[in-house]
Amino acid sequence: MTHEPQIQILPYKHRSRFFWVLVIIFLVTLPSLIFYTTGYRLSFENEETSIVTTGGMYVTTDNLEVDVYLDEEQVERPRLFRSAYYIQNINAGQHRIVVQSPDYHTWVKDLPVDSRVVIEASAFNMPVQPQLRPITLYETATGTAVYFEEDITDRVFAEATSTEPFYFSTSTATTSFQINEEFVFVESLFGTTSSSSKSVFGRLLDEVGKFGFATATPEVATTTSTTTEEKTLRGDMELIDTDGELYARWLGSEAAIPYYFCVTNTPLASTSVRYGEHVAQAIEQAEGSTSTPLILDSNRICRTQIKLDHLRQDVFYYNFFPNSSDLVLMQLQDGIYVTEIDDRAWQNTQLLYAGTDIQTVVENDVIYIRDGEHYFQIATEIESN
Amino acid sequence: MNDDSHLLPYAKRPDFKVARANELTGKDRRFFRFLEIVPGVAAWATIIGIILASIYTPFIAAYFIIAFSIYWVLKTIFLSYHVRYNWKRLKHHMELDWQSMVQRFSYDKYYHLVIFPFYKEPAEVLQETIAGLRAAKYDAKKLIVVFAAEERAGPEAQALALKIKEEHGDSFGHFLVTTHPDNIVGEIAGKGSNVHWVLQQVKEQVIDTHNIPHKDILTSIFDIDTVIYPDYFNCLIWFFMTVENPYKSCFQPVPLFTNNLWEASALSRVMAMSSTFWQMIMQERPEKAATFSSHSVSFQALYEIGYGQPNVVSEDSRIFWNLMIANDGEFDVVSMSYPIAMDATTASSFWGTIQNIYRQHRRWTYGVENWCYIVYHFTKNKSIPLKKRWSVALLQGEGYWSLVTNPIMLFILGWAPIFLGTREFHETVLSYELPIMVRNLLIVAMFGLVVSAVISLSLTPPRPDGHSRFRYIVMMLQWIMVPMTMIVFSAIPGLDAQTRLMFGRYMGFWVTPKGRN
Repeated sequence: MTHEPQIQILPYKHRSRFFWVLVIIFLVTLPSLIFYTTGYRLSFENEETSIVTTGGMYVTTDNLEVDVYLDEEQVERPRLFRSAYYIQNINAGQHRIVVQSPDYHTWVKDLPVDSRVVIEASAFNMPVQPQLRPITLYETATGTAVYFEEDITDRVFAEATSTEPFYFSTSTATTSFQINEEFVFVESLFGTTSSSSKSVFGRLLDEVGKFGFATATPEVATTTSTTTEEKTLRGDMELIDTDGELYARWLGSEAAIPYYFCVTNTPLASTSVRYGEHVAQAIEQAEGSTSTPLILDSNRICRTQIKLDHLRQDVFYYNFFPNSSDLVLMQLQDGIYVTEIDDRAWQNTQLLYAGTDIQTVVENDVIYIRDGEHYFQIATEIESN
Repeated sequence: MNDDSHLLPYAKRPDFKVARANELTGKDRRFFRFLEIVPGVAAWATIIGIILASIYTPFIAAYFIIAFSIYWVLKTIFLSYHVRYNWKRLKHHMELDWQSMVQRFSYDKYYHLVIFPFYKEPAEVLQETIAGLRAAKYDAKKLIVVFAAEERAGPEAQALALKIKEEHGDSFGHFLVTTHPDNIVGEIAGKGSNVHWVLQQVKEQVIDTHNIPHKDILTSIFDIDTVIYPDYFNCLIWFFMTVENPYKSCFQPVPLFTNNLWEASALSRVMAMSSTFWQMIMQERPEKAATFSSHSVSFQALYEIGYGQPNVVSEDSRIFWNLMIANDGEFDVVSMSYPIAMDATTASSFWGTIQNIYRQHRRWTYGVENWCYIVYHFTKNKSIPLKKRWSVALLQGEGYWSLVTNPIMLFILGWAPIFLGTREFHETVLSYELPIMVRNLLIVAMFGLVVSAVISLSLTPPRPDGHSRFRYIVMMLQWIMVPMTMIVFSAIPGLDAQTRLMFGRYMGFWVTPKGRN
């Protein structure tokens, strides 16, 4: 018979030994993890073990189904927060980031990565084939758009996809259809606020000519006219058309300035190599400017104005892209484009809708266009079936 | 005039049973008040400090958070090791035949004084308690059972106790029903004051009248929902007969909150088992422990300190500190690693359960009042070895500090530099890697929960009829609530209790409602 319990209380010596083992693990692990989290890595390249410092890249996307490549190597999709990619372990230097998806325009940027620093970028991908929602004067009882001319398929939907089914009426009789109130609303928008056949700069010159006599509402309702500039505001970001050029200007606080206005504070020659010659030139020009001064902020230098690339074409309409203050919608001579304000390396500009006889309106963050006599809403994503 | 000749020399001090600063005068009062302020200030300073560090020195805050996360992982491993070891010992002790093991001792002379203070608990709870006592594999004639009612609970409580006595009284050596008067000067309403009073009654009515030597009585002070396992008294006797200083020891069983575990919500079960695990950890390092809830100690020891304090909330631990300080540091907790069954905290509604668990844990964490008491008397009783005074004060202080701050630091403030840090910090790899590192370390720490889940299932009573097997899966998955329970039912009530003490808004004893569905 047992007179004693066979399992004794955990001996103090065992506990003490275990405790000190854990203390040693702590002392070894702590510096290791601190070095790791600050960007230090062991490198085994060239059969030599060395410690290297790495940086990172943080890329946000507006499309969850994209593939992201860093220097032609695909980056694993994040499991959570799928619209944001944090890419670790990048050696210092220039790196190319590509964000692409079938049927979407590809977004590409060359960015400099510094040790222990994470550089940010925001990618966007517009559909290659325009996605249009027809808005017709008449609709069926179930709300389907009704067309009376067959040229719509030959001309418009040969190059674009309709996001909704529509109906052809072989007869011109309208009694079996109902008036579409949205059409009336959209038509009224184009009557007052759409782009015109003249470029923005051309209209500005007209306004200058009419100075002192103009009493009518300006054509672009979301902008205000002066003798030299047109401005559009979203939050603390302003779009300015001046002297035939389009600019994005930051009006907010220095602390809240978007990252793409800023670059690492290095000599201009280095800035030119890292971010592009145009960035270095812009900084140089801004150095003496009083209207758009540079912001010097410890390790970085920030411009307050970025010139937007309009592909050497006239700008007929511009506005902020819906729900964004980082992207700009521009109607140029050959179509409607979306461009990013971020000009580091270059500005990605993607064609949203091709056409010459078109007009554009952005109302309540919805893009409407008039192509000939037809009205559409442009969708910026491809709807999955 | 009170005869205090039986008291230990230190227990004769007028401030021996001090509970609050306002019971003292002059320098002592100021010092005790300072001690009451220290825990709250330490906790708030830590929390605010991390927030400020995250704003102004985010790099240092981030390094600290990494260090703290590693510490937490290692602490989890360390504690899981203790839980697992104690689990093995507990299972082993439950399998032993203690009745046979104690036969080699001559223990017939010993009586067990078993005190059940109660308030308004229903008859079912009392019936289960007495049924457990009657099922004990021990000579019931050696048991002095006391059902200690409260006058403020009304005549129903006393009537209920008398009914129990009528039904079961003859089975035991002695059976007393007492009623603790309301509003005795110097007491606060609660279990501690009831026990303090009832010990005097038992001495007068039973011990003195039957001339039972004080050294021959083992006193078990049990919560009313305590259902003993059959070998409890044999196990207690075995430890009493084998420890080095039986009269300088408290005997601590492992409380399993399993009486109503199958009826309790997942939240109640997690909290109940978490409390059990903490006690299991303390069982393996008794030199760091104090008594908790139901426990046993010799009557002689209690007599020598005047039966503990009637004026504190956390009376279960305070009695140990009274004993330890009065005995110049020569008093230990003996871990029995033998279970007693108690109730998990529940209520008739889920919201009621949340409230009850919160209040119960606030009461438990108000045990920080003991730290003030310990440190105060450590500066007075120089007979206690200096090393012991320092180690106990620091250990207990760290315990109360970490109870309140660690969960908040780990699950909330760990992200503070990311949200509050400077622009320079946000641009660094450290800023992006910090949440990933903390998350990964927490995932590693969560493996400790797997150990908890497995052990908790093994300690769960057999499934009663009417409960689905699916409940076992819920019992495994319920442990994912731990991060939330640590904050809501550990850190916040702890902070609440320490803040009240800091501002001198002293708490009273809140009786945890017991019931059966």
